[in-house]
Amino acid sequence: MASRFAALTEAEVRASLGEIEKPTTDKILDHLDRSCLTFLAHSPFCCLSTSDSAGNCDCSPRGDYPGFVRALDDRTLVLPDRLGNRLADSFTNILDNGHVGLLCFVPGMIETLRINGSAYVTNDPSLMAMLEQDHVVPQLATVIEVEQAYLHCGRALLRSRLWDDEMHDLATEVPSAGTMWAEASGLDADVARAIDEASVAGYKTLY
Amino acid sequence: MARDRGMLRLVVTRMSRESAGIVSIELADATGRPLPAWEPGAHIDVQLITRMQRQYSLCGDPADLRSYRIAVLREDFSRGVSMYVHDFLHVGSVVHVRPPRNLFPVLPASEYLLLAAGIGITPLLPMARSLSRARAPWAMNYAVRDEANLPFASELESLGPAVTINAPGRAGRLDLAALLAAPHPGLGVYACGPARFIDGVVDAMGHWPSGSLHLERFEPKPVVALPNAPFTVHCARSNLDVEVPAERTMLQAITDVDLPVTGSCLRGVCGSCAVRVLDGEVEHRDSLTTDPDSRVMYPCVSRARAARLTIDV
Repeated sequence: MASRFAALTEAEVRASLGEIEKPTTDKILDHLDRSCLTFLAHSPFCCLSTSDSAGNCDCSPRGDYPGFVRALDDRTLVLPDRLGNRLADSFTNILDNGHVGLLCFVPGMIETLRINGSAYVTNDPSLMAMLEQDHVVPQLATVIEVEQAYLHCGRALLRSRLWDDEMHDLATEVPSAGTMWAEASGLDADVARAIDEASVAGYKTLY
Repeated sequence: MARDRGMLRLVVTRMSRESAGIVSIELADATGRPLPAWEPGAHIDVQLITRMQRQYSLCGDPADLRSYRIAVLREDFSRGVSMYVHDFLHVGSVVHVRPPRNLFPVLPASEYLLLAAGIGITPLLPMARSLSRARAPWAMNYAVRDEANLPFASELESLGPAVTINAPGRAGRLDLAALLAAPHPGLGVYACGPARFIDGVVDAMGHWPSGSLHLERFEPKPVVALPNAPFTVHCARSNLDVEVPAERTMLQAITDVDLPVTGSCLRGVCGSCAVRVLDGEVEHRDSLTTDPDSRVMYPCVSRARAARLTIDV
């Protein structure tokens, strides 16, 4: 399909950006060093990118107690599956194509940790017991074998002022989850309100 | 887990390796303020910067109110806290601590026998020290896998011949059945250790006078529970009916409506969430209750036997 705007080739993009500097590629590790492990132990949130074998992508938020992306050793991570929408997009992709990307955040820190690797889904009982939280043992977990890990520079978070308290004002201008859901499903405003009210109760069940 | 008011903000002032898998940690107020007093057997809830929390027995000296000492075992399949403590906690780290509570107090007896295995030494170490200071007749058997897994070796040494270390190359394996074969009225037995050790002590003391054995469990004891059924809790003091669905714990249901009950272990071992039952029958599923008719219940695991329960909350 023809693109709406000029779609550049790799050579053209490279010509525009200039060459990669060696220190940038040198910082890419093939394992998790002590700093990466410490980052993960304090990270309560990440985005998990997956795609199916045709290249269709999904990116999904994951959050829990800091350290919930658990390092079993310097090349293996395990990510518990908590209560969610049961769409299982990520699992379906991983079963089709194991390549995953993680972007991990520590609140207040502008640099993010990028981890790429290959993943599989497990229900190993000793791992599940280890991942118990608030009385609930997960049914499934994703094991990630790390292939690349590196700290991404902080400019994106600096420019976005992501951690600034005053940025919380922005959320007041965005339609509520109930409104967005109702509009997308062709339902009216009463339903939107009902969804918002039900979410208040539903969000109390986190595990 | 949310931080509640009344938690002390303490800093790690010292970390020492006590054995292959155990590290001890000293916690103090950053400004040097004295800490709440405690008696041997007491534990504290420790909440890390990750907001995960666990209970740890105090294993230091109750006379020292400048610091608390706990000891943490590295677990192979840590649920998060043991791993964090061993890999990331450092001198200067801030932790939040709920003041000491004692569910394992030393009661008057004519003699004392302290039985520990592994990390179970922690509550018994201050007991041994205080019994020794009080010149009470006491003895301790402490079972460890081997010399490398023996924590607090010099402290145990300093307690003298009352302490028997059961390990290869020391006094050998601890034979609980032989040690506890003859009931000894007036002897208070205090035991702490992994589930298998505790079960061994319970089995060996089946024929002892009731009340002889005092236990502290780290892990829940296995409970054969009825299937979960929904029920209603009437919270008398707040005059509120709370529905507990089958898939939620009673503690979750009552904290969902912001009633002031705080859980900690959520596994029926720590006693934090105790509530008084005013009416209705309780199915006790915790590891603390010994009397099935007890009117104190632990809603993190226990449930109503019938459709309705009234509690003093």
